[in-house]
Amino acid sequence: MSKQKGCRPGWFLRLLGYKKTQFLTIPLFSILCSLLAIAILILLIGKNPLTAFQSLLQGSGWLPKPNYAAGKSILTDLLEMLDAYTPMLFASLAVALAFKAGLFNIGVSGQMLLAGFVTTVLVGYQDFPAGLAKPLVVLLGFICGSLVGALIGFLKYRFNVNEVVSSIMLNYIIQYVVGFFIQTRYVDVVSRQSRTINAPARLTLVDVAWGGVKLRLPLLFIPAILMAVLLYFYLKSTVGGYELKAVGLNRQAARYAGIKVGKRLVSSMTLSGGLAGLAGVTYYLGYYASIKPNELASLGFDSIAVSLLGNSHPLGIIFSSLLITSLDKGSTYMNSTVGVRQEVSSLVTGMILLFSACSAYIRYKVDDSLRLSLAGSEGTAAPIQRKTPASGSGKRGKNA
Amino acid sequence: MTETIVEMRHITKRFPGIIANDDINLSICKGEIFALLGENGAGKSTLMSMLFGLYEPDQGEFLVRGQQVKIDSPNQAVALDIGMVHQHFQLVSNFTVTENIIMGVETSKRRLGIFPTVDLKNSEKKVAALSEQYGLEVDPRAVIEDLQISERQRVEILKMLYRNAEILIFDEPTAVLTPQEIQFLLQIIRNLRDNGKTVILITHKLDEIKQVADRCAILNRGRLIAVRDVSQTSTQEMARLMVGHDIAFTLDKKPAQFGEEILRVDSLTVENEEKYEAIRQVSFSVHRGEIYALAGVAGNGQVELADAISGLLPVKSGHIYLKQTDITQESVRARNLRGLSYIPEDRQSVGLILDFTLQDNLVLKRYFQPGFRKGQRIKLERWQSYARRLSQVYDIRSANGIQTVVRSMSGGNQQKAIIAREIDQDSDLQIYVQPTRGLDIGAITSIREKLIQERDHGKAILLISLELDEIMACADTIGVLYHGSLQTEARAGELDMETVGAYMMGAQHE
Repeated sequence: MSKQKGCRPGWFLRLLGYKKTQFLTIPLFSILCSLLAIAILILLIGKNPLTAFQSLLQGSGWLPKPNYAAGKSILTDLLEMLDAYTPMLFASLAVALAFKAGLFNIGVSGQMLLAGFVTTVLVGYQDFPAGLAKPLVVLLGFICGSLVGALIGFLKYRFNVNEVVSSIMLNYIIQYVVGFFIQTRYVDVVSRQSRTINAPARLTLVDVAWGGVKLRLPLLFIPAILMAVLLYFYLKSTVGGYELKAVGLNRQAARYAGIKVGKRLVSSMTLSGGLAGLAGVTYYLGYYASIKPNELASLGFDSIAVSLLGNSHPLGIIFSSLLITSLDKGSTYMNSTVGVRQEVSSLVTGMILLFSACSAYIRYKVDDSLRLSLAGSEGTAAPIQRKTPASGSGKRGKNA
Repeated sequence: MTETIVEMRHITKRFPGIIANDDINLSICKGEIFALLGENGAGKSTLMSMLFGLYEPDQGEFLVRGQQVKIDSPNQAVALDIGMVHQHFQLVSNFTVTENIIMGVETSKRRLGIFPTVDLKNSEKKVAALSEQYGLEVDPRAVIEDLQISERQRVEILKMLYRNAEILIFDEPTAVLTPQEIQFLLQIIRNLRDNGKTVILITHKLDEIKQVADRCAILNRGRLIAVRDVSQTSTQEMARLMVGHDIAFTLDKKPAQFGEEILRVDSLTVENEEKYEAIRQVSFSVHRGEIYALAGVAGNGQVELADAISGLLPVKSGHIYLKQTDITQESVRARNLRGLSYIPEDRQSVGLILDFTLQDNLVLKRYFQPGFRKGQRIKLERWQSYARRLSQVYDIRSANGIQTVVRSMSGGNQQKAIIAREIDQDSDLQIYVQPTRGLDIGAITSIREKLIQERDHGKAILLISLELDEIMACADTIGVLYHGSLQTEARAGELDMETVGAYMMGAQHE
């Protein structure tokens, strides 16, 4: 507000301020900031940050390691990372879709857990052939998640219950109800988790031998990418996507345009829940094959930030999920080779998410200082957008 | 009159584009009720905000008790014993009355001789005594959120009295009150005067002034028109002075050719979101080729009426007919398709999606129609060509053409976009609420011409405006809304501006 610069804005500021590429430059800037912060931290503990970052990439299968154990290769690491990536992508898409409709789905973890548990019991413990079991898992997972989402949407629409509150409460309910059933009926006495599901129901093929190495094949990896592309087109060029965005940006105007706002809220929350359900089955019946009782997957919460990092844009999320999952998967290796503890990788993730959460602020600051310095150089006051208070508009605009 | 307590000399205040106060000289006597009368935007509130230290004048000076003073903050005003009750109350809703009143000027005592605490008990006593003295009937221990609007207002008054205010400014105090509450408040104001306080009352309601004020100053477009003794001035004359003699311009307008009835509203009652009956038993009809203008001061039910007709607010009782079909229960979209266009008052939060592009806003009422889509897919080329055509025909200007984000467009062009979209639907009924608010004179003229052009094309037009000269310039039929009911209705030629103004103020009941 106060500082009025008279000089021309620097190239960096102009690069960041360029509207057309801001969707890309701002997240990249956030990532850069966080990497720098972490590099300083690693320097402080007396290690080389470059080797640390390199080992992160090696651990997640992007760069070759110096040597591999028997039956392992760079492909093993890469596919394992992609196995973890699949649920992350679904979960982040779930958050982004709700966000586009103006809703905050903080209950992705709960929706994942319920979908994972129901499919584990109904399909995972049965002796179905793989050709039946796998599609059934996907279908049931989607339905379970979407039912939870629909409930949240309905509560919002019918009783005006804030979706954040209801989904957090549902998270608790699901977490402990599922925990109760696992511990009383489905527990494995050794691992203290739910019993491992039967192989035909699993959405990841494990120990696939190929060219002398053993690989994991996440079956829903490609469908997940396709889903992101599909959502992109849905939002961009369908009537439903247009309505959803209209509702998300301005509910009052959407109603004025004749859009059935309640219906849109419920349907987008249903779809968001369904995507969370898919995240659940690829997580609990793919990456893992059992469920830890009384615990929500932190992935469900990370996905909120991942979605933010990707600008809530389906195509952006393909990349932001990849980045965060890679950092996560590379951390074990970084720990064992460079001696930088695994926690540091969580710190990197946390930093990136923190900075990306600030991206709106960064954008605001960039635009603001750009505006000020431009105004200063032209010698005119920048126009300040002020909402003129409608002297008589009375009691409008309060309904959420 | 006795001694002067506040004097204003050559006060001038400019805001970008307008002069809010133009060389105002006023003196207010100790112990009187002084009213400031004027239309919306006449500069009443600005003048008083300067006296209370919220703005500083560009030119001129204030004298309080004969001393020249510079008031640059409300604290300073309070130090000069000036208090103000704003239209929006400034109370902490989960605190008690006393806690709210003493906030900032708490007296403290030491409990057990050590711990400093707020001396609530004595404060409560003091508040109760003040409440008693001025007949305010406020319980010092009540929690604000349990209180009615009128009681909260009285807490605000107590807050001023507690700070020993001698000059009390009320900004439109009756706008939020029911008729009974208004009477109670006016009595309180009289009590204040009888106890030696000076009261400045900002209002545009003539009957209240007539009831309580000793003198009144009339402002119009930032200028002081007259200062009158209320007992020797008729409400008619006040209304005439307030509206002003100069009607800015006239429009070239052919006599109306009325056709069949398009809209009929039949004893309509509408509750607003606070469950208050904003519209009561209103009936009227609008015909083809007619501009039916509804006049009224802000907050007398205009927005609720327009929202009810367009389907945004549910109807409590009564019926709405569009071309002889009962549409009372129909959805917003069904009404649109039947031939209803609506230019809402709040263009930024109702009429537009500010973060959408111009193109996406222009198709807001068309996108679902065949031709604009193919199955679920939108027909982008059609959207583009349609948006391009509209921006050309209606001269909507924007930095990046139809891909401009509407938020970055000027107010006038935003309004043009809404009007283009609504007129282009070719609806038989067009509702315009405050279509020219905040626009420059060029845009105003072009919008009014468009309105008359649409009438001449045989559309039925319902124009709701707070600006009397707009009503007088455009209307074929004039109705006046006051407190949610239709006060009068007549052909445009049969009413002059003063009469309409008087009806708007509720001066001529029945």
